[in-house]
Amino acid sequence: MSSGWTAEAAAVFAKDWRAERRARHAVATLVLFAITTLVIASLALGPIGATPGERSDVASALLWILLLFAAAAGLPRVFVHEEESHTATVLRLAARPSAVFAGKLAWVASLLALLEAVATPLALALFDLPVASPGRLVLALGAGGAGLAAATTLLAAIVAQGRGATTLFAALAFPLLVPLAVLAVAATRAALGGGDAGGVLVQLFLYDSTIMVAGFLLFPVIWAP
Amino acid sequence: MKRPLLWLLWGWMATVIVAAFHWAPLAEGFLGQSSRILFFHVPMAWVSFVAFMVAGVRSLAYLAGRRTERRDQAAAAAIEIGLLFALLATVTGAIWARIMWNSWWNWDPRQASIVVALLFYAAYLALRAAVADREARGRLCAAYATLGLVVAPFFYFVLPRLGFTLHPEAVINAQGKVEVEPRMLVVLLASSAGFTALFFWMHQLRTRLALREARLLEGSD
Repeated sequence: MSSGWTAEAAAVFAKDWRAERRARHAVATLVLFAITTLVIASLALGPIGATPGERSDVASALLWILLLFAAAAGLPRVFVHEEESHTATVLRLAARPSAVFAGKLAWVASLLALLEAVATPLALALFDLPVASPGRLVLALGAGGAGLAAATTLLAAIVAQGRGATTLFAALAFPLLVPLAVLAVAATRAALGGGDAGGVLVQLFLYDSTIMVAGFLLFPVIWAP
Repeated sequence: MKRPLLWLLWGWMATVIVAAFHWAPLAEGFLGQSSRILFFHVPMAWVSFVAFMVAGVRSLAYLAGRRTERRDQAAAAAIEIGLLFALLATVTGAIWARIMWNSWWNWDPRQASIVVALLFYAAYLALRAAVADREARGRLCAAYATLGLVVAPFFYFVLPRLGFTLHPEAVINAQGKVEVEPRMLVVLLASSAGFTALFFWMHQLRTRLALREARLLEGSD
């Protein structure tokens, strides 16, 4: 990749964070959704609601359900606001499609990493859970988050050009995210409980790579009519 | 499809049905006649996969080559028929599960994976309905179906192998060997070939019908 391409992708990434710092729409939606859901779930399934064994089994599934729904609530707007505010045309002229995808993907991935950094310690504290392998937990969250970011960025670009973006986004995203969620839950459960998750992590990286390569190949036709 | 070929297809399918019920032996370890559903359930699941791959290939051709209405409608038709066959495979699987496991549905990995495939391709139809502009609809739907070309193998071949399953082993087992009684294998292969030909005939009809509907709508605008 040329330095021009990198500069364009970095400019898109910086523009989205600057806009987010002014509006605080995505961060507020994602973090508040995550905290509210965690409080509700921990009341029912936390230390007073379930035994330690049950908690470690359900916490990994709950954490990923929360991340998926938070992504569905806050991320469809990644491209919708560009279309609504008519900045999409300028963006099409200012940067190559693959650089736009890379910049948006980096922004969504950083947003999800921030969400995971807030939600995971909170979930561990509220559910009173020990972590058998912190390194593997970071790997599971990183790999799951990367796949989630790639899939949501690609689908957000598709739904931005249709009617009823948020509803359509959920219909398109959830089937695509099921294999990712199943693998991420298995990897997180193994990291919390101390089981072997090497094979699952390899499959997760494979799925991530598939979605990312497909994203970079398909984005130019989705983005530029 | 030419008329003699069509008659050949009907004769072939009739022979498959008779052979499935009167010539093929029953499989060991199955209750009553329940193993005979194999000759219909497996080809239906296979054809749904073929249909989704056809949709992916036609969509890729649409994106990479000339963006014709025919290619767009052919991809949509393949997905509609693929959904029908995936639904039939799900229903026949549930009937078999009720007989063998005494439960219509128990989220076995294979049951879960075909539901995910159904949802993924049903979403394609939702996407078609959500985009009004014909050019944008063709482009976005083709991109989504092309994405299916790479993720559908995960739904059909990877997801079913994640976790414990009670589902009988696939025709080609984990060791890469075929361990099916020879007469059963003949009927199964004949049925799969017949269902595949049936799909291509239905696909041709549905594409022609969709193109005529599109032309009529264009004329009424």
